[in-house]
Amino acid sequence: MAHVVQPLDQPSNYKDSQTKLDRKRQYDFLSKSSTLYIGNLSFYTTEEQIYELFSKCTSPEDGGGIKRIIMGLDRNTRTPCGFCFVEYYTHAEALACMKYISGTKLDERIIRCDLDLGYAEGRQFGRGKSGGQVRDEHRTDYDPGRGGWGAQAQLERRREFEERYADAQEGPGAVATGGGEWKATEVPSTTLKRARSPDDDDDSSR
Amino acid sequence: MNYDRPYRGGGGRRRYRDRVTEDYDTHDRRREYESPEQILKNSIIKLGEVDPIQEVPRLAKQLQEDATSMLPAISEGIRIAVTEQPYKIPYYAALLRLLHGPSSLGTDTSAGQPSAPLGKLVLEDFWKGFQGYLDKLSWRDVRLCIHFFAHLTVAQVISTESMAALLQSFAAVLDEFGVSYGRGKHAALCAAEGLMIAGAVIQKSLSSNTAEIIAAIHGFNESMASSKNLVQPLTSLASGSATVDYADELLDSVIAVLKALEASEFADPPASFPQPYLEYDDLDPVASPPFELPSILVPPEVIELDGLPSDGGEDAQVKRDEWPEYWFRLFDNSVTPDPNTISGFLIRSNFRDMIDIFEVNRKECARLLLEYPKWCVPGTFKPRAGGPLIEDDPSANNWQLESVVIEASLGFLFLLPEPGQKPVYFIALITELCKLSPSTVGPAVGKSIRKLYSCLADGLDVEVARRFVEWFSVHMSNFGFQWVWKEWIPDLVLPENHPKRTFVRRAVESEMRLSYHERILKALPEAMQDDPNVISSQQPGPDPEYEEPLHPYHEAYQSILSLLRGRSRADEVIAQVDTLKTTLDTSHTDMHIDSIIRSLAIQSLLSIGSRSFSHFLNAIERYLPLLRGLATPTDFEAKRDILAATAAFWKRNKHMIGIVFDKLMQYQIVDPTDIVAWIFNMVSGDGITGPVYVQAFEWELLKGALDKANGRVTIARKKVLALRKEQDDSIARAKASGGADVGNMEVDGEVKPLKQDESATENPQLTTALKAFTSLTREQRSVLAKTLEGFVSCLSPVPGDAYQNMHSKTVIDEHSWERRASWTNDEWMTWETWGWYRHFCRLYSPYLRNYSTTLSTVAFAKIEGFTTPTAQSIKKTWDIATGQEA
Repeated sequence: MAHVVQPLDQPSNYKDSQTKLDRKRQYDFLSKSSTLYIGNLSFYTTEEQIYELFSKCTSPEDGGGIKRIIMGLDRNTRTPCGFCFVEYYTHAEALACMKYISGTKLDERIIRCDLDLGYAEGRQFGRGKSGGQVRDEHRTDYDPGRGGWGAQAQLERRREFEERYADAQEGPGAVATGGGEWKATEVPSTTLKRARSPDDDDDSSR
Repeated sequence: MNYDRPYRGGGGRRRYRDRVTEDYDTHDRRREYESPEQILKNSIIKLGEVDPIQEVPRLAKQLQEDATSMLPAISEGIRIAVTEQPYKIPYYAALLRLLHGPSSLGTDTSAGQPSAPLGKLVLEDFWKGFQGYLDKLSWRDVRLCIHFFAHLTVAQVISTESMAALLQSFAAVLDEFGVSYGRGKHAALCAAEGLMIAGAVIQKSLSSNTAEIIAAIHGFNESMASSKNLVQPLTSLASGSATVDYADELLDSVIAVLKALEASEFADPPASFPQPYLEYDDLDPVASPPFELPSILVPPEVIELDGLPSDGGEDAQVKRDEWPEYWFRLFDNSVTPDPNTISGFLIRSNFRDMIDIFEVNRKECARLLLEYPKWCVPGTFKPRAGGPLIEDDPSANNWQLESVVIEASLGFLFLLPEPGQKPVYFIALITELCKLSPSTVGPAVGKSIRKLYSCLADGLDVEVARRFVEWFSVHMSNFGFQWVWKEWIPDLVLPENHPKRTFVRRAVESEMRLSYHERILKALPEAMQDDPNVISSQQPGPDPEYEEPLHPYHEAYQSILSLLRGRSRADEVIAQVDTLKTTLDTSHTDMHIDSIIRSLAIQSLLSIGSRSFSHFLNAIERYLPLLRGLATPTDFEAKRDILAATAAFWKRNKHMIGIVFDKLMQYQIVDPTDIVAWIFNMVSGDGITGPVYVQAFEWELLKGALDKANGRVTIARKKVLALRKEQDDSIARAKASGGADVGNMEVDGEVKPLKQDESATENPQLTTALKAFTSLTREQRSVLAKTLEGFVSCLSPVPGDAYQNMHSKTVIDEHSWERRASWTNDEWMTWETWGWYRHFCRLYSPYLRNYSTTLSTVAFAKIEGFTTPTAQSIKKTWDIATGQEA
């Protein structure tokens, strides 16, 4: 469709550097992905703020919506370290974010969205040596929103954040799924066993 | 394509690193291998980047040199250019005009016979593309091709007779029996815009059919008059009048322009459009005869044949785009062009198309919109400050570019029932415009906000007001939350549910959702900081009523909470809840023990989930068995208790109520119907004491429930269709192999005669999917019915109903509306409820139509035969929305 301008919803150079998939397979996954990596968040941005902004790209009438948000945490301190994953129910919603949200502000910072291969266990933690994101280890500029020393003004807010994820778990099942597709529910009075549908298998492997 | 241009933002270092590694290689290689065809296409698409007038002859010459081998590339390049760059169409017409004339290369070289002019060959090929758009009913592409043809007609390249016939074919659509509004509208625009550009030539020709075409459009527009009232951006509940201030209906504007052209016998040329081809010498009609456009028939709309039978209704595909389009006006005719004039109409048409086409890249879209004046006749727009001054020209319009652009973007945003793109696109586009040129776009944005705010007191539609809040808050979030709130301080004396105060409260609330309490509080003037109806003094948070140590159920609550905090297993928690059921002292309350238990359990779950959205998800996912035990699917009381406990827990943070409700539906703890039932039974918080009002908050919950039900049907339908297709394919494969390999396939040993209706029963997956589809459509119908019933009972209570809203009939009375300055909160809330009822009908009209008989029979039973103004107004709105009143 677009010959005159470059569409904004194309996969960019962003990639999961630890994925074991080859480039071709990665590309195939991305072209169906309903997960976004969100970068350059303030350490103090909450999931509810993220929910509010990203819900503007949902298409509930097509069966979409925000499935879950996975906040990126410092491996050691269990505090937000400036990134997250937003997972939708549909690919189209993720593309809408690339077009309309990536490059706009949240909590007064310009955030970046990239199509992601999908959340996998352990990816909620920073990969830097210090426990946070690698980029913050090489950063030389002053950035109050990302743990810079000027954060005194937000002391109250900060304390709240430091405690919030202290209970964050690791390992399988640490992160909720957000709810799957609609399924027929058992009617308690009948003796019929619930028929297995292919979705049931999906759930157990998540 | 220029790959040097950095389209994406991001750190410089990052890009540098990527370029030196793999991506640099691929870029470089791609450029190296760009084919000659691609290069040629690009030079066509990029025509006019510096000076179109000079570039057209140069490009024409280049194309003539390349003509023989690359004709398809040339016509494809022009086709892309025309359908994606509507502002350059006159220059492409000029290009074609040069290609149509005698070749500047000298024709009599080696070839013995003179070949047809290149222009003719290009047009023949171009026509195939046009036919393709037509077959797909790709209306915008079709219409832009018609712009091109119309200019070519003026340029003598296309024969006037064939152009007139082409436009006639589109006008003929309007006379089709039962033509849908959307189809009619698009066809009318094709014919009308063609006439606006080429009408003068057609009018003068022997085959003039301008009067006929105009009459057809006029007749079509008249027949659709009643639906206009429902989609005006300024609500008039009282009168059914179709004229409205501050907005122009698209086809009304078309008629106004065409009638004016007709009256002047097409004397006024489109003043803002350049017609560069008129500068060229006349063509010799013998050497270069005009191209005859083949005759066409606009193909009928595709009727979906895969509709599924559903319970009590047809499963028609949801068709949108079936409403008249009201375009909001924010500025005077001296600032932005009047859409009822030919220049105004065509400029706005260009802007609409550009905003639509460049939806894939809002940043480029913003840039191109601000560069638009360079494609217009000088004097159309006011020159930019510091730009070359144009001598005083009395015919110059000097419109303000930024105001036109903002008006067009907001016009899209405020289209009813819903814009063609997500609202956030237009919001993001305006953000980009402001970033590109803050000093010129900023003031236009500020004026728009003030204008819209003033319209709130004059009946600005509730949905338009809701989108206004959304735009305002997201915009401010991108620009440091800087707004001059203090100019609205005088309005703090209005009743707190006056639309202006509702706007302020909701705008502040939305800003807080995107930011945080303290930040927004500090951005407000003192008078507003202290007003609890603007902003609460406390930051939004949970309200766990049992946490109060003196509460009689405090200990019971703590007993559940400590189990949850210790991550006890669900069955342990269930056991504790069961114990409480028998031990709890209920002597001091008349609440049922079950209700108390539900409230305790839900509030403690919400409490451990209150830290964040993820905590909440983890909490419900871990304790799903507990939740399912609290409310079996048929226990409506229980489900209402769960919703009520949620609303109580989060009453100081309404955002969370919506989030929790959504996930309760997702996890199938409650159904969409339960939410609708809950809203209409007790919206007003504590107890069922007052009348039920639907305001923006309730509407958003309602919409969440309705969309969930509709979305599930959409998914289920897709699943059934996919399974059917899979099955059909495997049957076809079995057939193709003559049944020889059937043993290898998942079909019974012997080959059965294949019947369509039998095949469904053979595949268990398909059977399950069909069953799911049936129960989901039943739920869908029931949600729609409940909502309709709810609105009927709160807007048109019948004698004997528990809650009588006396204002329901006054607020729809014209005299009362004139006295709205003295309305109280109740009147404004009732007025808003009417507004949401109307929006419900128009927004969900595609779904309502499917079930219109069943729904209206059930919901209107109570008011059947009533001639009260409220009953009549309810039914009239319903009839318009379901297409029963043309």
